[in-house]
Amino acid sequence: MKAHHSELISALVDGELKGLRRWLVQRHVTRCAACAAEYRHFQHVRELLAANPVTSTMSDSPEFFWSKVKREIQAREGQTVNVPVPALGLSDWLGQNRFVLASAVAALIAVVVLVFAMQTPRQNSNTVVIIQPPVATVEHASTFIANTVATTIEATEAEPAVIWVSGLPWTPDMTEMKTQFAQLDS
Amino acid sequence: MRRLILFSLLVVATADAAQVQARLIRATKDDKLADERLKVLQPKLKKTFGFPYYQQLGEKQEALKLDTTNRLDLGEGFVVFVTPKSIGKGPNKLEVEWTSGKASIVKVTVKIPDGGHLFFKGPGVANDWILLALTVHE
Repeated sequence: MKAHHSELISALVDGELKGLRRWLVQRHVTRCAACAAEYRHFQHVRELLAANPVTSTMSDSPEFFWSKVKREIQAREGQTVNVPVPALGLSDWLGQNRFVLASAVAALIAVVVLVFAMQTPRQNSNTVVIIQPPVATVEHASTFIANTVATTIEATEAEPAVIWVSGLPWTPDMTEMKTQFAQLDS
Repeated sequence: MRRLILFSLLVVATADAAQVQARLIRATKDDKLADERLKVLQPKLKKTFGFPYYQQLGEKQEALKLDTTNRLDLGEGFVVFVTPKSIGKGPNKLEVEWTSGKASIVKVTVKIPDGGHLFFKGPGVANDWILLALTVHE
């Protein structure tokens, strides 16, 4: 509340404000010298009125007065009367519909909590641990015998890595292989 | 007392050291050469090379020590040299050289985690192949 609203101070004095609005106006009155003065003035008037009640004197007897009111009501029965509806601001509407405001705030908090819960990784007791199989990784392979090539077949989850050396001399039996390979020179 | 502590530390260190195991294998179609010692490795060998039977020609196992070359003499004139370049933290990085006589057949730098295998396809002998299987385990 930044502007000076006499009607709000008057409403505060009359006890017509409640909740957040009442707190805001009270806070403003404590901080604003002009409004504080107006508040004191309204309170003083109210005290004066309370101390000096208006005494009304009726020209008619109470029975005759109420019989006139009854006749008037009966005469106007069936007539449509346009009652002016005060225009409500957002703060008035929220003041009258506190339940809606509270529900909206609760829904907003619920949405924020839900978003955080969805972003946080779930950790429950049934966590499945995936154990990767141990696989070898070949960084470099080379051959030194003429006309031979080492080809690397990378490991997969199920199979090991393989170095395929092609171009090596073929021999008809193990004895011949030992002899021939013993003579090889790189 | 001090000797006992040193001995205990040595025992613990030896027990935790990663081991490299090299096997010289003959892949064959001859069922008479099927080898029980390769029972565990046989499915992987069969899936990789296609031969139905595998014979173990030689086997050696050594503890890996950083920057120390292990000489694994597998018989039939084949020797494998394994030099660990990093061990213990993550996969073991090894330099492996498969030699025969004076010749170096192939030289490889490989990272093998515990329980990992590396196979080599070597020369052909008659209708069979000579293979080398390298396994690292604790």
